[in-house]
Amino acid sequence: MKKLINDPFDVVEEMVEGFLAANDQIIKRVGKRSIARANSPIAGKVGIVVGGGSGHLPAFAGYVGKGMADGAAFGNIFASPPAKPVIEATLAVDSGAGVMYTYGNYQGDCINFDKAQDKCREMGIKVETVVLNDDVLSAPKAQAHKRRGIGGLFLVWHVAGAKAEQLASLDEVVAVTAKANANTRTVGVGLTSCTVPANGAPTFFLPDNEIEIGLGIHGEPGMKRVKVRPIDSIIDELMDAILADLDYKGTDVALLVNGLGGTPAEELYVVYRRVKQICEANKIKIKFKHVGNQVTALEMQGTSVSLLRLDTEMHDLIKNTTVDTCMYKKV
Amino acid sequence: MVNVDGALVAKSLILVAKKVEQNKDHLCELDGEVGDGDHGVSMTIGMRAVSRAAKDLPADCTPSEALQSAADAYADEVGATIGPLYEAAFAAAAQAANGKKNLNEIADWASIYQAMADAIQQVGKAQLGDKTLLDAFFPAVEHIKGLAKKGGTLEAALLSTAERALKAAKDTRNLVPQKGRASRLGDRAKGYQDAGATSLAVVLKGFADGVSKRKS
Repeated sequence: MKKLINDPFDVVEEMVEGFLAANDQIIKRVGKRSIARANSPIAGKVGIVVGGGSGHLPAFAGYVGKGMADGAAFGNIFASPPAKPVIEATLAVDSGAGVMYTYGNYQGDCINFDKAQDKCREMGIKVETVVLNDDVLSAPKAQAHKRRGIGGLFLVWHVAGAKAEQLASLDEVVAVTAKANANTRTVGVGLTSCTVPANGAPTFFLPDNEIEIGLGIHGEPGMKRVKVRPIDSIIDELMDAILADLDYKGTDVALLVNGLGGTPAEELYVVYRRVKQICEANKIKIKFKHVGNQVTALEMQGTSVSLLRLDTEMHDLIKNTTVDTCMYKKV
Repeated sequence: MVNVDGALVAKSLILVAKKVEQNKDHLCELDGEVGDGDHGVSMTIGMRAVSRAAKDLPADCTPSEALQSAADAYADEVGATIGPLYEAAFAAAAQAANGKKNLNEIADWASIYQAMADAIQQVGKAQLGDKTLLDAFFPAVEHIKGLAKKGGTLEAALLSTAERALKAAKDTRNLVPQKGRASRLGDRAKGYQDAGATSLAVVLKGFADGVSKRKS
């Protein structure tokens, strides 16, 4: 294992310390593993608290700032945070307008965020939750509630954050976030494994000449392994899965071509090129797009493609909102 | 006969932590086959915190206080799915041991193990056969309840209960997971031994060795 680390068990602690110092204009520390926007709580604004395991930056803490999230809790690598830092972030961002939790659908996150939600409600804070489940290949459509949350959160949180910036009510923010999630689909492909520092060895073994379609962002096994082949035909297969799951034909979309951490930007643009061709063939109009590493899996190579089917409300929310967070900006 | 007072429970927790860490790589390997490969890491991080808390306990602590310190340590440090499960389990153990100066009877441990398994089921909502740590824990609980009726030494009872848990953990190979990340794999996860069931067997072995004051 070659990594830029000291003791593997100190990685998260030391990362949080550096993350805070590097972003001290935007965030403040509100607990050992919790952060909030420097100016929070913001009067009249619903606080959005995100979080999950570490190892996915910019997701999740990287999106704390104007236009996206108000607070975040850091877990250990690939492991949900306990309830405690979620509660700390909640208390820091609650202005009285209420707090929304939003995170990917994993059992650990659900248990710990629910626990935090219960405790905060007991304290009299209004808390609601929108769990994200955009990964088409992680469960069949009939069991969509079992699907994992992956790259699509980047698009959904644009909508959620924009609505909250307008000082909408908690119910309104929750409704539009749930709507964005319901209209978002993601498919991914992994080329390599990754190494959890304290583990010291790659999570699984993927032969040199094979890639895994549907591979999860913690290395969870995907739908199937196939031989390496030109990326256009792989993207065709991925886009087929998205378009079969939700009717995007003739609609406006927001689109993310995401890198999993170890893939060069050059390759992501090759991917975007093909995605755009497929969108054009299906009369899908790309109103907003981003290409880059957003929801990563340590140094894993691979990509995911996310599409959010826009209506006028969601379109205008994304278009008219400036985003200025720790690790992502949009004018 | 060994006197299992609070100090010995604390020492046993430290030994459990050591055993879990010794098994870290094996647990990660098992988890990597079907999950995300970090189970050994999460358990090690949690049990390191338990170990630190146990070392800070006063020498005259009660068994219940020692077990509650383990629950608090898990609550603050771990997260993941396993964090709330073990937090609830240690808290339930502390409750079951409440008011007792020592845990010298097999029946004491039978009720502690029962309370731990029930608490885990309540938080994780898994059923027997779902391929989780309960598939090792419930058979172990039934086993020690039987021994409590039969009698014998506490040391032998805890050791054979740990062995029962390990056998049950190995038997999880044949199960199809219904919970956690592995559940999305369905039949593809058959043939692999459940990591959570395996670490539970390690924890019970740690208690058995701790109480009988053996080194390994």
